[in-house]
Amino acid sequence: MGAIEKEECHVLVIGSGGAGIRAALEAAQYGETILIGKTIAGKGGCTVMAEGGYNAVLRTDDTLSGHLEDTLKGGAYLNDPVLAEVLVNEAPDRINDLLRFGAVFDADTTCTIAQRPFGGQRYPRTCYAGDRTGHEIVMTLLERLRSSDVVIRNEVAALELAKDGDHVSGAITSTRDGEIGAIAADAVILATGGAGQIYDISTNSTAGTGDGYALGYRAGAELIDMEMVQFHPTGAVHPYDARGRLITEAVRGEGGILKNALGERFMARYDPERMELSTRDVVARSIATEVLEGRGTERGGVWLDVTHLPAEQIEERLPLMLEQFLKFGVDIRTRPMEVAPTAHHMMGGLRIRPDCRTTLPGLFACGEVAGGVHGANRLGGNALAETQVFGRRAGEAAGRSEKESRRIDPDQIEAVEGRIAAYAEGSLRPSEAVARLKRVMWDGAGIYRDAASLTTTREVVLDLLSTPLFAASGPEILDAWTAGNMMLVAGMILDGALLREESRGAHVRRDCAVRWEVSASPYGHTFISPSSRGIEVLRRFP
Amino acid sequence: MKEMTFTIQRFDPAKESAPHRESYTVSVNDGARVLDALEVVRRDHDPSLAIRSCCRAGQCGSCAVRMNGSPVLACMEEAADGMIIEPLELPVIRDLVTDIAPVLQRLATILPSEVAAGLSREEVELIKPLRECIECLSCVSVCPALKVTDFAGPTAMRQEMRCALDPRDTQDRITEAIEKGLFACTTCHRCVEVCPKEIEIPGKAIEKLRERANRAGLTLPRHRAVAELIERTGRSVERSAATFLEQVPEVIEPDGPVKMTIGFFVGCMFNGRVTKPALDAMEVMKRNGIRVVIPHEQVCCGSPLIRTGQTAIVSELKRKNIEAFTSRGIDTVMTICAGCGATLKKDYDTPFTVMDITEILLKAGYELPAKLPITATYHDPCHLLRGQGIADPPRKILEQVVERYIPMPAQCCGAGGGVRSGQPEEAAALGKLRGEAIAATGADIVVTICPFCEFHIQEQTDKPVKNLASLMLEGYKKKDQAKGGD
Repeated sequence: MGAIEKEECHVLVIGSGGAGIRAALEAAQYGETILIGKTIAGKGGCTVMAEGGYNAVLRTDDTLSGHLEDTLKGGAYLNDPVLAEVLVNEAPDRINDLLRFGAVFDADTTCTIAQRPFGGQRYPRTCYAGDRTGHEIVMTLLERLRSSDVVIRNEVAALELAKDGDHVSGAITSTRDGEIGAIAADAVILATGGAGQIYDISTNSTAGTGDGYALGYRAGAELIDMEMVQFHPTGAVHPYDARGRLITEAVRGEGGILKNALGERFMARYDPERMELSTRDVVARSIATEVLEGRGTERGGVWLDVTHLPAEQIEERLPLMLEQFLKFGVDIRTRPMEVAPTAHHMMGGLRIRPDCRTTLPGLFACGEVAGGVHGANRLGGNALAETQVFGRRAGEAAGRSEKESRRIDPDQIEAVEGRIAAYAEGSLRPSEAVARLKRVMWDGAGIYRDAASLTTTREVVLDLLSTPLFAASGPEILDAWTAGNMMLVAGMILDGALLREESRGAHVRRDCAVRWEVSASPYGHTFISPSSRGIEVLRRFP
Repeated sequence: MKEMTFTIQRFDPAKESAPHRESYTVSVNDGARVLDALEVVRRDHDPSLAIRSCCRAGQCGSCAVRMNGSPVLACMEEAADGMIIEPLELPVIRDLVTDIAPVLQRLATILPSEVAAGLSREEVELIKPLRECIECLSCVSVCPALKVTDFAGPTAMRQEMRCALDPRDTQDRITEAIEKGLFACTTCHRCVEVCPKEIEIPGKAIEKLRERANRAGLTLPRHRAVAELIERTGRSVERSAATFLEQVPEVIEPDGPVKMTIGFFVGCMFNGRVTKPALDAMEVMKRNGIRVVIPHEQVCCGSPLIRTGQTAIVSELKRKNIEAFTSRGIDTVMTICAGCGATLKKDYDTPFTVMDITEILLKAGYELPAKLPITATYHDPCHLLRGQGIADPPRKILEQVVERYIPMPAQCCGAGGGVRSGQPEEAAALGKLRGEAIAATGADIVVTICPFCEFHIQEQTDKPVKNLASLMLEGYKKKDQAKGGD
């Protein structure tokens, strides 16, 4: 083992998006905190891209129980009810934190944060800052972060969690150029976000490669419901390279309507009551069905239309959408948007308790990398709330951790170095491996699934996993490592999807007959760890 | 799919002493963005190419690079055959990746308050335009003031104003902004031009902060002296000899039939300090059938006050000027000073149309002058190029007046925004850069349309700096002489 850069601290936070920064701010109140991220803090996660909003019960005619019921129903009752309760109970407090920190949300006439309707909710409870709500939250958090004691290490990736016995004791890291380092800590928080990049069509930032799931898994943590991948109903279709780019749910919240190529407002066939503001799983499936059955556009999408709305409403409430589409040559004030589903959010993730403890001592998780809060389908507006509610909880719990050994096992570093050294002898270019992975996952583990295609896809992924990756220079090492993480996570999604022989929320198995209402499903979480995998059975089969 | 060849500036400071350029031919999808093309290079040619990108949707500000010399977000700008991609003009880490974190770390922050007070709609609307910054630092990379001073940069000022506008903020942002170089900005608007979110930092942050500084008694003494002069005389410059207005009648009739009637707004510099170009411009009008009405009660447009935040008497100046023209039934007012023109167009709400002299000439049509046997370059006044969006008309005319025109990249000369009076060293340093750029063109003379640029640049170059109208008149005289000699 060569001489490597070593640091130590009380709490190490991995991931510098909305959840990670919130966690670091909290943890720093208890001791020295280091925040690392693959990107420049705030820029990499999906929080900064989140457009629509943040759900919180703020008004007297809305209720916490209503928010909870909406969240559980939207999640097809697979949510961990305690986590869901924490989310709705604390979302208002955390948005108030943001206000204290200086956030600038849109306001109504009484100086209260304005709210708009989002899918699957009985009350318009989605707070927003135009259609750049996540950006507003990140800017606010960055202001706090820059004046805090948190030590920020930009563009440092965690390759592996360090372990001292059973206890997570830090992380082995890499710089942009593949220089290996180590940070020892009493407690580690994973806040690495989701894995949408595993799919060919995705809303996620380039950093959404699921590293946290892979790191947690390899360290021995348990993950749940990894098959639960939310496909956002409305992603861009054109141009090709921009496919999947998020078209916010706020477009429908503001009154946008969906039409197929025949001009039919097709949601009437699938959810006549809620129409375009049905839950995301339902809308995404409806669009996919329209396209599959030949009623889609030539490019395989449908139309999302706001041309009936006043131009001022579009300019004020959806400025980013307007700007982005103009950049691609479409004025949404006069022409409809072409949209199709796109991989968006991982509902599954590391199993956590309400204080964000994972199944591994010393390891905490918050934000998208954690599972259980959203069940089988997440409501729009609940993810930004989750970053703040659980970010703070993880920071507090990790901050309260006892001082530990802070030992980094040299053998572990050696193992990492060995794996990297092997890249020189590899045969498969990471970019090629990732491109193949994305395509097979989109085709075989997308909106509609069955055992046969999942099994075939799994074989391809296992084949990719067993092909040695090639990396020649420093920067490519990180590409190769990330590709390995992506394959591992793809495998978990496929395993979960095969284990769950029912259709529930975002997970649709066409080969499994529906024998029960989702609320009466005998199944609980799927679970995956290096030592066991399976699906919980909670009650007798009917 | 389509094929394109383009060039990337490559640089590894650990291995090379200077950047070099490499060309790549790649196959990209229709509608591919710059970032997509760069990723194809990484995939198919050189995986070690360092680029930074995250959201791919123009929201995180990670991927700003220069495309053909100007900053763009690589994820939003369409790739083009033959493009040249370079890093932003910031310290380069490797290839297209620049060191932006240190600048971000120094941006102002609000201290958390005890109570979670909501903002009013009005407060939100005021702050919002300053809140859209995605911290890509394109503005910082192009700001001329940053090249010669330790100015914290446009977005730092935006953030100061964002804090100052927030009722929850408890800090003294004015002193802070002054320490960070509030008076270094020349209001050249290059930052707005390159901002992916088009944030009006000079108008909405810098001039507003300067207004607050003024209310706090922190205006620079030299700026205060200008304001006192305007209050006393209605003019921002001391008169030397006879002023322009003293030398001309209220109406100047053209030589031939009247093609057009315009009002003329002369501006303080042309009225009091350099009257010749204005008098030359009148000759050019006369020759081209344009009747010029010149209200003698017109005063300073207020630009020196607005740029330096001393706005107390501006509305009075505006009223006087607008009345001077409306009372004479004028529907088109001509300016020959870029600064006055930009001010009348952007800061005024005029019931008449305001046009630069070049716009007037192109609209009315003009007699071609004889070509002068010289090589000329053109300096874009910021308040004409970006303030009024006028780039081509002066070049078109210039090309007809001189034998040879050599282009020169636009950059602020340093005279504007009160910098020449307030921070003369910075102004001189920027002027010197212009002097060097002029020398590099090899031109005999440099032509411009702004009296401030003209006066300022002349101090930094041995080449004559001339107003376009004066040059046209020379061309006419040459033509007349040639005729006389026949």
